[in-house]
Amino acid sequence: MTTHATGGCQCGAVRYRIDGPFNNPHICHCRMCQKAFGNYFAALVGSLKENLHWTKGQPSFFRSSSIVQRGFCRDCGTPLSFAYDHSKHIAVSIGSLDDPSAVTPERQYGVESRLPAFAHLHELEGSRTEDDVPPEMMAKLRSRQQPDRD
Amino acid sequence: MVKNALMDKSGTHGASGGCQCGAIRYRIDGPLGRASICHCRMCQKAFGNFGAPLVGVPRANFAWTRGAPATFRSSAPVARGFCRDCGTPLFMQEDGDANIELAIATLDDPNAVELVAQVGVESKLAWFDGMAHLPRETTNENNPAAAGGRYRTLQHPDHDTEHWP
Repeated sequence: MTTHATGGCQCGAVRYRIDGPFNNPHICHCRMCQKAFGNYFAALVGSLKENLHWTKGQPSFFRSSSIVQRGFCRDCGTPLSFAYDHSKHIAVSIGSLDDPSAVTPERQYGVESRLPAFAHLHELEGSRTEDDVPPEMMAKLRSRQQPDRD
Repeated sequence: MVKNALMDKSGTHGASGGCQCGAIRYRIDGPLGRASICHCRMCQKAFGNFGAPLVGVPRANFAWTRGAPATFRSSAPVARGFCRDCGTPLFMQEDGDANIELAIATLDDPNAVELVAQVGVESKLAWFDGMAHLPRETTNENNPAAAGGRYRTLQHPDHDTEHWP
């Protein structure tokens, strides 16, 4: 398990650092996580709250239920964090890590809301970006995304 | 190929959706189009996830019915929309494209979509293909607090509301 990890939102306004081990990497299918992430599930990894440091900017928080706060970037919308009020832990979204491949989910929660399509996502026919986007379009792409480092 | 969430009395296909907090709602009058998941690093970052699930809908059939999204231009020709109040990623829109690409789980009925492809697989995360076999728990098993009396959702319901909250 990593002892230092960094990450942040797409536009770079919010950055964080985790000093300490990851805890409970998982995906969650609950309808709350689906809606918050606009996705089939959320992918999250925890750390102790005291080990997560917002190093640039601050997330905005939405209280999605009476016991949970979800953090996101107000400037670009990237979903960043999830925490129960009563817990010592906070989870960050795996996709917001600078190295999302450093974490492998170990459990799936909220399976009562698991969408039927989920089990077949990996069976869909796949293509690479350069196969779908013409070279002249690729040339215009000019990413405005924060690079995967501080 | 395309299933539809709603069909009104005149036989028109349609669907509705919005963000988690309910500040932003939208309506589609017409069928849902091509749906895919994208693994590219831009979509990973924008969605804080493995990537993005997107369904195309003609702009002509699409309307915001409550509130207006904020946008971030993630690359020169692409705007990404989200709710500034709760952060839900809502859409991706390429300049000049007649379609808006909606985040599938923001639909009130995400099952109305039939996925046909995965794109951007050069960035696919190694754990993606094996997810369905991970050990499973329900929300209540995982979270005793949610099962107890203290839990109250503040999420907008999966249908339009006259007043919210």
